[in-house]
Amino acid sequence: MPEALERAFAELALGAEPVPADPVAVRAWLDRSGVSADDAAAILDDGADRLFVYRTLIRATLRDAVECAIPRTMHRLGGVFDEYFTRYLSEVGPRSRYLRDITTELLDFCAPLWPDDPRVPPWAMDLARHEAVQIVVASELARPLGAEPGVLDLDTPVRFIDAVRLMSYDHAVHRLSDRLDDRTPPAAEPTRLLVYRSPEHDVRYLQLTPLAAAILERLLAGDALGAALLDATRSTGTELGESVLAGTAALLADLAERGALVGSNRPPERMTT
Amino acid sequence: MSSTERSLNGVGLGLRWEFLEEVLAAPELGLAFWEICPENYMHRGGYYPYALGRIAEREPVVTHGLTLSIGGSEPAPLDYLHELRDEIRRVGAPWHSDHLCFGNAGPRMLHELLPLKQSSANAQRAAERLRRARDVLGVPVLVENITWYAHPGRREMPEADFITEVVERAETGLLLDVNNVWVNAQNHGFEPRAFIRALPLDRVRQIHVAGHTRTPSGLILDTHGEKVVDPVIDLLGFTLEHTGPMPVLLERDNQVPELPELLDEVGRLRAAYDRAMTRREAPLARSA
Repeated sequence: MPEALERAFAELALGAEPVPADPVAVRAWLDRSGVSADDAAAILDDGADRLFVYRTLIRATLRDAVECAIPRTMHRLGGVFDEYFTRYLSEVGPRSRYLRDITTELLDFCAPLWPDDPRVPPWAMDLARHEAVQIVVASELARPLGAEPGVLDLDTPVRFIDAVRLMSYDHAVHRLSDRLDDRTPPAAEPTRLLVYRSPEHDVRYLQLTPLAAAILERLLAGDALGAALLDATRSTGTELGESVLAGTAALLADLAERGALVGSNRPPERMTT
Repeated sequence: MSSTERSLNGVGLGLRWEFLEEVLAAPELGLAFWEICPENYMHRGGYYPYALGRIAEREPVVTHGLTLSIGGSEPAPLDYLHELRDEIRRVGAPWHSDHLCFGNAGPRMLHELLPLKQSSANAQRAAERLRRARDVLGVPVLVENITWYAHPGRREMPEADFITEVVERAETGLLLDVNNVWVNAQNHGFEPRAFIRALPLDRVRQIHVAGHTRTPSGLILDTHGEKVVDPVIDLLGFTLEHTGPMPVLLERDNQVPELPELLDEVGRLRAAYDRAMTRREAPLARSA
């Protein structure tokens, strides 16, 4: 029954630290997985030590992928990070065929847990998300444009490239050094960044004011430009006047210049009969 | 250039991000082809797919996947196969290959080439998967023999028979990794040339060569992280003598050295390739 051996390998690789030298523990592990008595006997006869090599190989591959994406977070958290990585493997495990997705999966697992753990600094998730977004934006699939983007107007949603993310942090993690041994805590400072991939394939970061972030948040959610402006000014307590309109026009022109914004999402023309 | 427009016989190299820029900037490097891991380029945008696209325009590329899970209990999802098909078309690969293994347990992806129990039932299932993959991908799908460190259960047949049953049932080609044969021979104590002779060599369509690492316990791991050792090069020559001209690939995935060093290693393999072809032709020349 192949499913039983697959379950056995999954527990071996992702579960609690096994004891290969203990035949009773090995037998219990194989029984839990539903491995047949004959296969279990053969594994025990051969000695399970070499089977346990796969645990080391799999965990090293997964850990390397995460370290490639969020090295500073891992180094700063040290053993606490290892603990959560172990829990993630055991409780959820990787779901994507693409190794690059494992960091996002891991952080989604940690996000509700870290705020309740006093050992995890309050800036840790900000730093982790900030590190991880680099690979996310660098590798975001660019879908074909489809219909030709139109000219911006207040009644139409704005069209951005796919490789763009609006990041919101409570700490200025973007100002930390890249050094792995740096333990300087980031300043507690609300921070909003637009992260996008340039036409030259570089990942770029643009720091935003609260109003600019509020406008872009709504535009990225698909609101029409006029509605986004009304909502954003209301939520930030800003008067919607000439200066806001001029500032928004400048922001959008700048984003178009940078290649992050491609035009308006003109709705399809209605069929007439 | 479409890879089908010319023979890929000779020695190629695994295309790695570490030297992608150099390849883009270099003129002809004299390689028979490049091989890529499609999962590194599929379902993504940005620089790497862009660079690969430019290379594929001028040089042949074949695809060698990691996550088809040919022997897994669940078939690969159709959306993955469609994305893989699109990637194969994008680079113009004349065939695709993946490993005779499984890589997931239900929804949990283990990201490792895990050994199958060597049984007729597993051979039959793997063959069905290969046929399905070929139908969806639209190109021949070769299957590669893996390195395995322990057999998961009671063996029902020798590994060579298992591989043979898979490729015969699937009516497909074999990607013969001679380093994997050599590593398995060392780890499990058998004679590698006898193993190769027991395979259906008329089904070999490509050969892989790589380096490996010996651990303190004596177990040898297929790391692709060191130079190819002489016994593996000798085994390559032996194999080529039997198969004839063939696309041969040097794999290097860890501790990737500078490109010139890799090209030197390609040169060593090419010399072994040429010697094997000379030996293969010699009896024919004598009888002419």
